[in-house]
Amino acid sequence: MNERTKLKSVLIIGIQGALAKITAEILIKKHPEIKIHGVDSREIDQVPNRTQLTTQQLKYTRTNFEKMFREHHFDTILHLGRLGHSPALGNIHKRIDINLVGTNTILELAHKFNCKKVVILSTHHVYGAHSDNSMFLKEDAPLRGSFKYAELRDVVEMDQMCTNWMWKNQNQIDTVVLRPCNIIGPQIKNSITQYLKTPYAPLPIDYNPMFQFVHEFDMASIIVGSAEALKTGIYNVAGDDVISLHEAAGIIGVRKLKVPIIVVEQLAKIMTPIWKFPHYLIDYLKFPSTLDNSELKKNLGGDIFRFSAKEALELLKLH
Amino acid sequence: MFKKFEEIEKKLQNRYSEQRDPWGLEPKRALADIKVLWPFYKYYFDVQLHGKEYVKDHPYMVVSNHTGQIPIDGMLICTAFATELESPRILRPLVERFLTSLPFLGRWSSEGGAVLGDRHNCLNLLKRGESVLIFPEGVKGIAKNTKDYYKLQKFTRGFLRMAIASDAEILPIAVVGAEEFFPYVLQMKKLAKFLKIPALPLTANLFPLPSPIDIYIGEPYSLPKDLSPEALDDELELHLIIIEKKIQELTEFGLKNRRTIMQRLKS
Repeated sequence: MNERTKLKSVLIIGIQGALAKITAEILIKKHPEIKIHGVDSREIDQVPNRTQLTTQQLKYTRTNFEKMFREHHFDTILHLGRLGHSPALGNIHKRIDINLVGTNTILELAHKFNCKKVVILSTHHVYGAHSDNSMFLKEDAPLRGSFKYAELRDVVEMDQMCTNWMWKNQNQIDTVVLRPCNIIGPQIKNSITQYLKTPYAPLPIDYNPMFQFVHEFDMASIIVGSAEALKTGIYNVAGDDVISLHEAAGIIGVRKLKVPIIVVEQLAKIMTPIWKFPHYLIDYLKFPSTLDNSELKKNLGGDIFRFSAKEALELLKLH
Repeated sequence: MFKKFEEIEKKLQNRYSEQRDPWGLEPKRALADIKVLWPFYKYYFDVQLHGKEYVKDHPYMVVSNHTGQIPIDGMLICTAFATELESPRILRPLVERFLTSLPFLGRWSSEGGAVLGDRHNCLNLLKRGESVLIFPEGVKGIAKNTKDYYKLQKFTRGFLRMAIASDAEILPIAVVGAEEFFPYVLQMKKLAKFLKIPALPLTANLFPLPSPIDIYIGEPYSLPKDLSPEALDDELELHLIIIEKKIQELTEFGLKNRRTIMQRLKS
């Protein structure tokens, strides 16, 4: 396990997200003298009322970011502000602007203003769900997320851009890229959480892939742990237990419409305006995309998960 | 019969938890499948298992010839390992990605224990103490024309590297009788390629004939400890020949003592 550093001044990008808010709370609890500045391009509300936390809504432009970097002397940057990739979540230009151009600006400025650490939240979707995926993909597995779905292109490109930058600047700045499995929890409103909780959402009867889930609290703790102790590198984030899609749906206990995948695919196309289910997620209902967590556990310790996948699903059911 | 399954169920329950494993195996489902397969195994194909004294209670890399157009041979080997051994096991056959991509069949096979044939999966399974079933001939072995029946196709070397890396013993197996499921076959290779499927056999009969099956288990083979998983192909060649020869010998022995469909019908 690596030694933990004390965090003094942290920038959180995407503070409006539930995960960012939980992360801020954990940071404040662990480092009472910390200064956190949270930014988001969205309107910011329901942020924890803490003296250590200031927030700012801003347009993700270079000028705005530069001004902010000059005013605050950040030692750590937590980039949790990647835009989701559902077709229902805005147009592709906005997504590319925020995910690629915005991230590139942040990385450049982090380097320019001598930040010590950058933590970037990527996703396991970069690996893609394929019939020939082996179980427990390691961090060096090829990123095949955008093979079939152009809507995942910016997600894969952002991940690759960050990792290239990370290796290029490894002597000047510690950069950690996290690729978490499905993050679930009462406050998280991502596509998979919405899918599991939606009554009568179609569930394929002809496929039952294995899934990994990490609870939002565990994920936030791992982000904090990464900022404190992880050395430069890419890390998959997933617990030890794996659960099938049907088991997960069973635990949530919401009635599902059990139909062949071909019907699920058609329903997803027809019902896009009502049912906000990204098309690429259909593949995740067919094939596994499970992660090997040995690298993370080797560096952060074996006891980083407070909730098993089952417990995380049980907690989701209660809300 | 029911008593037999009660005993097997108890033994399997002791070995496997009720939970699915990461590759999707559902022990209860696997046992239910075996119960359905059992009458076919016992009475339709009249399977006889030879050499079970060689199988000890530890993980093996089970390596078999591949015959019979459709992978019934794999199902029969798995049924034999789950029902006829002192310490029953659910064998984990490593299968083509074509199977894992299919609706219903992919789900059914993985819940029954099948796993995508991939190096990481194989090593992880052996590490967890599971026995894996490998057909190193691949599709070439199963999809043969009538004139090539029982001709062992060239083995690929990948399984040897995985056996070295995991320090697993190789258990050679020969299945005799499966080629007669479909006595007359013409492989539509070009059409199969066009349709992007592994094989497309044109057969005289649609349902497999009740050819009696003999499964021969050979003595386990251990690879030298000083052999590296990254050894040159030439260094592995000797061991590949030994394993191929073992399976060829078991097949030839089985063919000499073969029970035919006609003999079965007469008796």
